[in-house]
Amino acid sequence: MMFLPMTRAHAPQLDHVFAALADPTRRAIIERLLASGELSVGDVAAPFKISTPAISRHLQVLERAGLIERRVERQWRLIRVRADALAPVETWLTRQRRHWASALDRLEALAAVRTPKRKKS
Amino acid sequence: MSAAETDETALRLERLIASPPEVLFALWIEPAELARWWAPDGYKALVDTLEVKPGGRWRIVLRGASNSAAMSGIYRIVEPPRLLVFSWAWEDAGGKRGHGTEVTVNFEPAPGGTRLVLEHRHFETSQARDRHDAGWAASFARLADIAAK
Repeated sequence: MMFLPMTRAHAPQLDHVFAALADPTRRAIIERLLASGELSVGDVAAPFKISTPAISRHLQVLERAGLIERRVERQWRLIRVRADALAPVETWLTRQRRHWASALDRLEALAAVRTPKRKKS
Repeated sequence: MSAAETDETALRLERLIASPPEVLFALWIEPAELARWWAPDGYKALVDTLEVKPGGRWRIVLRGASNSAAMSGIYRIVEPPRLLVFSWAWEDAGGKRGHGTEVTVNFEPAPGGTRLVLEHRHFETSQARDRHDAGWAASFARLADIAAK
């Protein structure tokens, strides 16, 4: 398989995920959703001492990063963590692991050439 | 997945290599040597910068037949011949660095050679980022549980 640097397709999405989770309030929102499953916007906002519009902005960031999804059930606007929220991270792991595994193969081969032969004692 | 890899934000590779730590360490810090093994098949590694000292910069360009990519970072810890810690980010086409990750390479003497342990984390743990790291790691562990359901 050709080595394709992750800069093109995957880094932007990954950057969004990390940027979204860099904020303590947004991490707390994710934690709360993970603990509860699905919540209304009001329920999400309840424990936080910030305005509803501020919460809405945080939710927008999380949604753009692909971490949460919304649906409307009767009069409720419900929010939950997306089941595939982790996918970009897994992609990163897979690609970076492949990179290192092949690099260490080459390192090992070069090291063998650079290592003085020792007499068995 | 090994037990050492329960943290979804980090990967860990371990190799027993029949060379002493001094020999292996040199392959990581000498530009001409690094260029010999860094690039995958079909690519050539051009070592642009390699200031192997704490706070020093490194930058490597991978050049292929039809495309190229650059990665760069800062050395955090340099303890020859036992330990290397450096930050890592891919650069986009415009040279803008992406999310900063962190690589730790341990060169532990072992019978007959070296136990090389490489860890690559999503988040930089140096520079007082440990608490964030712990928070994120916990969040992602939980996400992983959910994703697995």
